Amino acid sequence: MNGKKRLMMGYLFLIPAALVFVFLIAYPVFNTVRTSFYASRIQTIRDGAKFVGLDNYVEMFRDTDMWTSLAFTVKFTVISVILETVIGMVCALIMNRNFRGQGLVRAMILVPWCIPTVVSGLMWSYMFAESYGIINYLLSAAHVIKDPVPWITDKGWAFAAITIADVWKTVPYMSLLLLSGLKTVSSDYLEAAAIDGANSVQKFFRVVLPNMKNIVLVAVMFRTISSFRIYDLIKVLTDGGPQNSTKSLTMYAMENYFTYGNLGYGAALATLTFLVSLLIAGLFQDGVKSKMEV
Amino acid sequence: MKKTWKINLFTVIFLMAILLPFVWLVLASFKNMKELYAYPVQILPSSWSIRNFAEALREQPILQYVKNSFLVSGIATLLIIVICSMTSFSLARTAIKGKKIILLLILTIALLPPVTLLNPIYMMLSNLNMLNSITGLALVMVAVELPSGVWYLMGFFQTIPMELEESAMIDGASVPQIFTKILIPIVSPGVFTISIMTFINVWNNYIFASVLNPTKKARTVTVALTMFSGETYTPWHLIAAAAVFVSIPIIIVVLILQRRIISGMLEGGVKG
Repeated sequence: MNGKKRLMMGYLFLIPAALVFVFLIAYPVFNTVRTSFYASRIQTIRDGAKFVGLDNYVEMFRDTDMWTSLAFTVKFTVISVILETVIGMVCALIMNRNFRGQGLVRAMILVPWCIPTVVSGLMWSYMFAESYGIINYLLSAAHVIKDPVPWITDKGWAFAAITIADVWKTVPYMSLLLLSGLKTVSSDYLEAAAIDGANSVQKFFRVVLPNMKNIVLVAVMFRTISSFRIYDLIKVLTDGGPQNSTKSLTMYAMENYFTYGNLGYGAALATLTFLVSLLIAGLFQDGVKSKMEV
Repeated sequence: MKKTWKINLFTVIFLMAILLPFVWLVLASFKNMKELYAYPVQILPSSWSIRNFAEALREQPILQYVKNSFLVSGIATLLIIVICSMTSFSLARTAIKGKKIILLLILTIALLPPVTLLNPIYMMLSNLNMLNSITGLALVMVAVELPSGVWYLMGFFQTIPMELEESAMIDGASVPQIFTKILIPIVSPGVFTISIMTFINVWNNYIFASVLNPTKKARTVTVALTMFSGETYTPWHLIAAAAVFVSIPIIIVVLILQRRIISGMLEGGVKG
């Protein structure tokens, strides 16, 4: 096949993805951004919507609920990503060694990953129940606590509960990702470092980490973006409570769209969520670049 | 090795942390309401009857929902395999222009929060009468899963040296032959991994499924699990039973395929 035919094929083969992109990605995004400039409500949708410019955004920045939501989402994202990366890295380092039961550990890692987030949310919800949950039972049996912890009904504890549930669900996958990165670090480097007298900690920070920088960055970037849009887990575990203290930005946007029918305001919130995601990607420039190499 | 006990300790703690929550759920699925709410906590159920499972399946048509989930995931996975293979081939093995832009657009898909897409897609499907449909949800999930499929398969295509194709062409192989005899066999492990990842991701999706398929007809099982409700109490016996009923097959399949899944994931990381 000559070059021209192959080139033709190249362009033609892009058509399915292009169709998907145009109809299911580009159009919805433009529509959302556009709707955010209108005072559109589902109740009055037949009457058409009034163009209101930046009003929705002004209202959004004055909305304390939005700020509560955003603050919670940012706090959750930062804390959970740090925990998941550190714990994931420790697990990856250990799994990188050959030890008995290694295969079993790697297989079992898939269990939290493959069950639906709603199942894990329901499961943790049952475990974190104040009076009949096993977590409180074990903690008081071990004399770590005296009174049962109000995991779901107290603002601070609810945050902890969500973080714990999220860590359980995502550390396994994260550690697999990081393990794949560890395996790319050539043992020659490590041997050379050992010959130069480096200890384990130095080896890790000076040899291992820099050599797997891209993989770590990409993993952390996508983990951050995923965390920021958290919805399933919270909906099922705390439903945004207590008193909206665990209502993520996505959840707040969903509420405005589908509970209150406020399409314009929901669109503004959805646009904000997107912009913050882009910002996060911007912070991880090197990670982004590695996804653009062809 | 002196460190063996530390590693064995890690293994035990790690495995317990991963599995105990789910084991607890399984135990809960056999308990009756009294045992579920008992304090001090009762570890084992008094009897292993499948009463809860029967009642859960009576309360909601779980089997129909499993079928729906299966169809949505299956269709989405098939479409992803086809579309991502074509797109990756294009990007990795042809000399088309504008690759950077295409990759940028694909990255944008991955950065898009679902909530930014939801309402317009809801309206669009509504106008097309495709709400509460298997195909509608499947198509939307294809868009969502597109980036990971493309990136993963691109990595695979890039490991095949062009010389391989060139020497086959010199030997007189035609285009279809190059495809079937060379490219497809080498890329098939990647396709396998992508199929599993996509299937599981689509199956587990909640946000799109709950909004786009709200009625019984095409409801997926993840949404159904959140719909067990009681007037004065949470019917944990039903929720646990349904959750276990739905999760166990997935876990079994994943454990059977685990070696290939893990090697697929580990290799995927290498290729970025």
